[in-house]
Amino acid sequence: MKLSDVFWETEDLVSPGLSACPGCAAELSLRTVLRILGPDTILGIPPGCMAGAGAVGWNRLSGVKVPVTIPLLDNTASLLSGIRRYYLRQGRKNVKVVAFAGDGATADAGFQALSGAAERGENIIYICYDNEGYMNTGFQRSSTTSKGSNTSTTPVGQLSQGKTQHKKDMPLLMALHDAAYVATISPAYTQDFVSKVEKAAVVRNGLVYLHVFSPCPTGWHFPPEDTISIARLAVQTNFFPLWEYENGRFRQTLAVSQPKPLAELIRRLGKFHHLTEAEIADMQDWVNHKTELLTRLFAAREDLAP
Amino acid sequence: MARIEALTGNESAARGAALCRPDIIAAYPITPQSSVVENLARMRANGEIDAEMVEVESEHSAMSVVQGAALAGARTFTATSAQGLALMYEPYFRMSTLRLPMVMALAGREMTSPETIWGGQQDSISVREAGWIQFYVEDNQEILDIIIQGYKVAENEQVLLPVNVCYDGFYLSHLIERVEIPDQELVDQFLPPRRAEHVILDPQRPMAVDPMTPGHLLMKYRRDHLEAMQAALAVIDAVDAEFGRFFGRRYGGTIETYRLDDAEVALITIGSTTGAGKEAVDHCRAQGKKVGLIKVRVLRPFPEQRIRQALRNVRAFGVIDRSVSFGWNTGALYQEVLAALGRSGWALPSISFIGGLGGADITLDHMLAAAEQVLALAENPRYDSPTIWLD
Ligand SMILES: Cc1ncc(C[n+]2csc(CCOP(=O)(O)OP(=O)(O)O)c2C)c(N)n1
Ligand code: SF4
Repeated sequence: MKLSDVFWETEDLVSPGLSACPGCAAELSLRTVLRILGPDTILGIPPGCMAGAGAVGWNRLSGVKVPVTIPLLDNTASLLSGIRRYYLRQGRKNVKVVAFAGDGATADAGFQALSGAAERGENIIYICYDNEGYMNTGFQRSSTTSKGSNTSTTPVGQLSQGKTQHKKDMPLLMALHDAAYVATISPAYTQDFVSKVEKAAVVRNGLVYLHVFSPCPTGWHFPPEDTISIARLAVQTNFFPLWEYENGRFRQTLAVSQPKPLAELIRRLGKFHHLTEAEIADMQDWVNHKTELLTRLFAAREDLAP
Repeated sequence: MARIEALTGNESAARGAALCRPDIIAAYPITPQSSVVENLARMRANGEIDAEMVEVESEHSAMSVVQGAALAGARTFTATSAQGLALMYEPYFRMSTLRLPMVMALAGREMTSPETIWGGQQDSISVREAGWIQFYVEDNQEILDIIIQGYKVAENEQVLLPVNVCYDGFYLSHLIERVEIPDQELVDQFLPPRRAEHVILDPQRPMAVDPMTPGHLLMKYRRDHLEAMQAALAVIDAVDAEFGRFFGRRYGGTIETYRLDDAEVALITIGSTTGAGKEAVDHCRAQGKKVGLIKVRVLRPFPEQRIRQALRNVRAFGVIDRSVSFGWNTGALYQEVLAALGRSGWALPSISFIGGLGGADITLDHMLAAAEQVLALAENPRYDSPTIWLD
């Protein structure tokens, strides 16, 4: 189906007027995800911007049109496991049980529960919107915050240049859990986005993990109208490569033949304004290293085939 | 026909849970509870029960899995002790405040530190303000029976609250006793399947569960919760009576009294130390000393009126606690009993006894000594008796 038809024929299941900031990629992604997954979905949105913006709303007044609850910051995957198990037990396999969780709820507080659910092969669809920090509580650092970011818990000062560690690689970690399906998603590449969610919707043999890059104008300091171009640039610099993992194989879903320098992305984000040339070069090295690693994983697929 | 078997407390808990036909079970091993999950897993592996078992990676997830399942309409079961209960506190509190009925067996264990794995009641006592109903039982038969009663209480629509069945770690969890196992058909009649109505996550009936709630509404929810707790007092007594008609065993509802009618002093116990307490009462009686006993079977909701009623003719009492109240320099149950009296403008000479912490034994001698102290107090009444340690 053409992309325009997909959007014409599906319903926006998120009510208008969520209180997310203008230009919020997470809200946009939530709308796209629910269009594709449809009304036969149960949604868990843990504490974070999307819950805070009212997606877990009051019946008929705000929020989403599917059943929704707010798990704890740290139990989304296990709470949803329980829901899914009961639906499977009742023979209602088509009810999709879906998490839409921030990176803090995913990579930090909720990581143990997610790891456990992935290892057990719980048949839930876990979507992480990665805005690189605890935005709802005031842009504190998370383990997926990029190195050098100026956050409220890694503030830049005379003795500090922001966060001192690189970003935790959540999608790769989930692939190494042998999750049934893992994919990275960018709101700037809608066709790729839609087809990955469509694929996720029919997985029945284990956990699905989707990692959505979510530029955050408020926390990262860029103009709200730039969200999509920032997301696109992140892919084109190889900062956020698009790939998927299934049946033990990694596959690149969008090849970047002429990657742009990372500095182009970094210079557009206020949270990096203090970074020196040397620090930017260090981040470029890290991106190069990650790209190399992924390239090998993509290439390894034939030899590794089970 | 009911069957008679020799079962440990943990086996009794597992068998009791199995008879209630839970849909989803999730639990994580911890001493002294572990064999509850192991027994259920074995029953599942042999096809003796039809529940889904979720082999979670922690107690936090155990409570979360059953919470999700309960939100989808399932009947659920879990079990834990001490550190496991502490780890699950966050979803534990939420289970009761979402008004989701379930039963959790708690094989009581002392809280670390000092590092310990032995019995005590500090774990469950410490969460008595988390909104769950808490039963404390005396023997293995009672474990099995109260798990069955527990579901009936929890799912009663005037109650809709989760239930803890607390039994002493090691003293009961690992002790083998004669246990009568009721017929499955009879249990099925007594306990029909759960009907989830008030909150449910189902695309056929979409609703938002737990949006950000303003204070005035939150207060309404708390008030309803408190009222449900009060309603549970009568429901517990009624369910016990109905259980008696079905299975021929009754426990007295929220409290049980023993040789109390003409007693001059009372010992108040909770959990398995009641056995030693009753024996001490018999010894005293044989010597013509008028000692009786009150076993507190339900700590939450606290059976305030029945405690007052039970104490109306005694001249002094002593409370035997297996836990402490850090801020009061007494046992925890002791403060509860004082509050029940104080609320009716009444005071009695009394002593707080603390013993049995960290697996230490409360012996017949301890109980006899406690009875003597309370008898002496009745002769020389005072209201400022220091706490006595049974060590
Ligand atoms: C156990 C616990 N600790 C802390 C919090 C406070 N808290 C609420 S939301 C949040 C940050 C969530 O960050 P993330 O998951 O990245 O979502 P975002 O706000 O970025 O959308 C924190 C720390 C909490 N709700 N629960
Ligand atoms: S702070 Fe960022 S992630 Fe949160 S609502 Fe605003 S734009 Fe979206």
